Formats: sequence, structure tokens, C-alpha cells
Amino acid sequence: MLPPLLLLLCPRLPRADPLSYPAVISPQDPTLLIGSSLVATCTVSPDFPLKAEDLYWTLNGRRLPAASYAALGPSTLSVALARLNGSRQQSGDNLVCHSRDGGILAGSCLYVGLPPEKPVNITCWSKNMKDLTCKWAPGTEGETFLHTNYTLKYKRRWYGQDNTCQEYHTAGTYSCHIPKDLALFTPYEIWVEASNRLGVAVSDVVMLDILDVVTTDPPSDVHVSRVGDLEDQLSVRWSSPPALKDFLFQAKYQIQYRVEDSSEWKVVDDVGNQTSCRLAGLRPGTVYFVQVRCNPFSIYGSKKAGIWSDWSNPTAASTPRSERAAGGCDPKGGEQNTTLRRELKQFFGWVKKHAYGCSNLGIKLYDQWRVWLQKSHKARNQVLENFADCLNGFN
Amino acid sequence: MELRAGDSWGIFTFLCAALCNLPALPALNCSEELGAGQSIQQTYDLTRYLEHQLRTLAGTYLNYLGPPFNEPDFNPPRLARAERVPSATVDLDLWRGLTDNARLAANYRAYSRLLCYLRVLDGQVGTAELRHRLAHFCASLQGLVLSIGGVMSSLGYPLPAGPAGPPAPPGAPAAPNDFLKKMDDFWLLKELQTWLWRSAKDFNRLKKKVPPAVVTLRLEARGF
Repeated sequence: MLPPLLLLLCPRLPRADPLSYPAVISPQDPTLLIGSSLVATCTVSPDFPLKAEDLYWTLNGRRLPAASYAALGPSTLSVALARLNGSRQQSGDNLVCHSRDGGILAGSCLYVGLPPEKPVNITCWSKNMKDLTCKWAPGTEGETFLHTNYTLKYKRRWYGQDNTCQEYHTAGTYSCHIPKDLALFTPYEIWVEASNRLGVAVSDVVMLDILDVVTTDPPSDVHVSRVGDLEDQLSVRWSSPPALKDFLFQAKYQIQYRVEDSSEWKVVDDVGNQTSCRLAGLRPGTVYFVQVRCNPFSIYGSKKAGIWSDWSNPTAASTPRSERAAGGCDPKGGEQNTTLRRELKQFFGWVKKHAYGCSNLGIKLYDQWRVWLQKSHKARNQVLENFADCLNGFN
Repeated sequence: MELRAGDSWGIFTFLCAALCNLPALPALNCSEELGAGQSIQQTYDLTRYLEHQLRTLAGTYLNYLGPPFNEPDFNPPRLARAERVPSATVDLDLWRGLTDNARLAANYRAYSRLLCYLRVLDGQVGTAELRHRLAHFCASLQGLVLSIGGVMSSLGYPLPAGPAGPPAPPGAPAAPNDFLKKMDDFWLLKELQTWLWRSAKDFNRLKKKVPPAVVTLRLEARGF
């Protein structure tokens, strides 16, 4: 127990500070506009035997020129940075104060960028009137170099209370999903706030009624089948999406189809309200892929068109082959052959009746002659001689 | 897997195999041995998988921090702050002499804490891609912690009391500035790398101790 006098005289021993750092940089982690200049200082802690001339600076790993340094005190070195570019990474540029041997004494993260611009192009859609998904685009065509936070807000017009969307990135980076507690038959005001270290920007307000932006699932049970033997037609049938069947709406449908080995889709637009359609003018013996989609326009009498659903999964079917093209390894000109053969047959029949010495002349000989045409000259001549003999006999 | 005559492990495994094949013995005992052996192998495989995953994650994260953090020879000082991240480096003789229980417990404790710190990171990090990768890695790391717990249970060891609660254990203040936080993140990833490298060796060692020979003999006897 120390006498009170000694207590007063003994200075408070500094607690061994586990957080003592070799040096301190000022400003620490500043935020700056692109093009601005900065003077930063590095002050070495008195516990460390380093002087200003023992120090140097790096920015993002690159040593800064000594010409930009200035010693502001025995253990304080400053550096001047002019016309800063946007930060190289969103976590901030690394400005570091080193001792002569390269050791790190302290660092400061520089956040250099631009304030955000108003987000634009807000579009929303509701799946079966159960939820609302919105997407938008950031205002800047270039980037702000700083991490920008987007918040989608919405409220019922005339009801006052702002709500914030919670589920982000559901349909791409700049999107948000509101899963429940949405009212129908009432206009909503929707907007997006963009904020970063340098400021905030608010988009224009979009006003909509959930019923005006309804989309639905693609039609189910899409069947594509042949129409009897018709070579150039296919029949497409589907069911209307089940989710909206209890609501008053007229559906519009669209069909698209393409040939198996092509990427060009043909669209049939005027399908109207029916759940079947016949495709005509198709190529025979070809495989086609068909897809159908649905637009639930006029939900509860809303005047606006709804939003097209996704296309159904492709269904494949093939048109029948045409008969003439069926089977056969006939050489080209097969049709001509048929007529010629028929006539030749008739001719030989007549010859046999009316000529002597033509017993071995017949359609079989003609066939052989055709085969031999491919073979040797000699064989051909043999046949020609036979034919000549016969003709002589005929005379 | 040969059983050398006179080798204490060999005799032990032979006896165990013989005992296991007696119909009188409840199958539970041997199936626990089977369970531990498989669990150790699975845990080993998981550490190798995580090592591989970490390489990609660390690359992406260090690029996010920017140079000099992503430079290959970067070696910042580990400042004398309260040791928040448990260190994997240990004296070799000490490491060799660890009992199975101590070895497993050290792994269990380390990864539980590392998981906590990584989860905090996940909440703060900027880009969506990085958040996605971190979330995936955390899920796999959680799997590793559970796997180690499973091995300990099957060998009859109690689980160490984990740092269940707050993400930042008391006595470890958050970094006072952004640059120091970047350095903390760097060291977190480094320690994770070292731990995974060490765990592979830990589990290799354990694999040899829990006799898989029991498993082999038992299966052979059953005609598999």
C-alpha cells in the first residue's frame, strides 16, 4: 500500500497497449471526388526509432516519386497526390507508408469516385398477381468507382407508409422481389435510391397497379401432332395456365416454331384466345420444334395488355414424308425410267407376237443392256448384235 | 495392409477382426469403428476439397483488396493485436505428441472460430460475386466442422465448448481503420490456408491410427 504522496507523484504507467501501431496516416480512409488532390502525412510513433528520411510511400503497390514528398517534422513525411483517378478497386486504393527496408508502417484506403446518378428504366411484373419483381438500370454509363447500394422502395398511393424491398438480385444484379402483402386495385408508387460514399440519387417515381403488369406461367401440356397424312401441317394443342383460371381474364397466345437445324423462329401471332392451332405450309419429312406463350391481358377488365409469359419448353414433332421421296435407291430420273420401261415392255410384247427370231428379246434383255452399259464395250456389242439379228428377222 | 508379427497394432487389429466375426458380438461396436474410419477419410477428403476451393476464393478476394495484397510476395507485419485468429503453426514435436483427442479438438476449435470470422466478412464485402463465393465456402467449412464433430463423437470424445455466440469473440476489437481491416482479412485467409494444409496431415495421421484393417477383414469374411 503506497503512501498517498507517492501515488500522486508516480505517473500513471501506460498500459501495455496491444494496439500500438508503428505509424499513423492522416487522413485515414478519406472519400474524394475524381480529379481532386490530396496531401497525406505519415507520422511515426515515438516508440519507433525512424526518421522522416527513412520513409517512403506506395499507392496500390507502386512507389510514389520522392519529388512529391516533404518532411513536415523529424518523424513526419507527407506526400502530395494530384488529380486523382477513380479508385482501382471498390475496396479503396491502398496508400501505404513504408520504412526504408520495405516494411509496412501504416496504410490508408482512398475512396475516389463520383456520386451516383438516378437509376432509370424501372420495369416491374407480377407473377399471377402474387408478388412483384422490379428491375432497373444504374444511371451512369460509366461507373462511379465506388460501391453503390440500391434500395427499392414502394408505397400505396394515398396511404403514406414507405416500404423497403428486401430480396435483391432475383432477376439480375439490379432487381428486387416483393413476395407478399401487395394489394390489388390500388396504384403503387415505386422508386429506387442509389447511394454511395459521395451521395444519394433517387430515381423518378413509377406508378402502377399490380393488375396492369401481370404475367403468368407458360401454357402447359403442349402437344404437337400430325394432321392425318398431310405432309405440310402440324396441329398444336395446349392448356391455358392453371394459376389464373379463377380470375377473369382473356388470354392471348403466341406460337413460335423452327426447323430442327435452324435457329430462325417463325412466329404465329394471331392465335387469339383458342388453345389449339394448325401450322401449315411446312416442309414434309422435317422435324419441327414448337413453343407457346401466354399473355393474360384484361385481367379483371384491366385495359392494359399483360406481360408475355416465358415460352413453354420446346415440343418436337415431324411432318410425314412425301410418298415419292419414300425409299428407293433409284438413280435420278427414276420417273422417266418408269414410263420408258412401260413402253419398252409393250414394244417387246408386240415384237414377240409379230416377229420371228426375237425370242430372246424382252424386257429382261433391256435390263441386262442397262447393266452392261456400265461394263465392257464388248459385252455391249454382243447385245447390239442380238438386237440387230432380231431386226433382220423382223424384216 | 499387412499385419507384422509382434506389431502391437497388428495383433490388436487381428483380435478385433476375430471378435467382430463372432455372431455373439453386437455389430454396433465394429460398425462404430467402421464409422470412424470412414468419417476420418471423408474429413480428410473435405480438407483437400476446401484447400482447392480456397485457392480460387483467396485469389478473388485478394484482387478485391487490391495491390499490394494480391502480390505473391506480400508479407505484412502481424501487428501485436489480440490474437483473434487461432494459429496453425505449432512445434513439430508438440504436434507429433498430440493425443487423438487433442488433435481433433484443436481442429474443431480452429475451424469453428475461422467460420465465425468468415461469416462476418461475408456481411461486409462489396461485390455480389465475392459474396456468393464466400457463402459457398462458408457452407463447405460448416460441413468440415460437422465432419470433425462426427469423428470425435464416433471415437467417444466430447466436443469442445465452441464459440457459439457472437461473431466477434470478446477481447478482439474490430479493426480501427479500413486498411488494418484489409490486413486482418489477409491474415484470416493465410491462416485458413495453413490450417487446411495442417489438417490434411492431422487426418492422415489419424487415418493410420484407426485401423481400417478391421474393415477389410470383416468385409472379406462376409464374402464381399
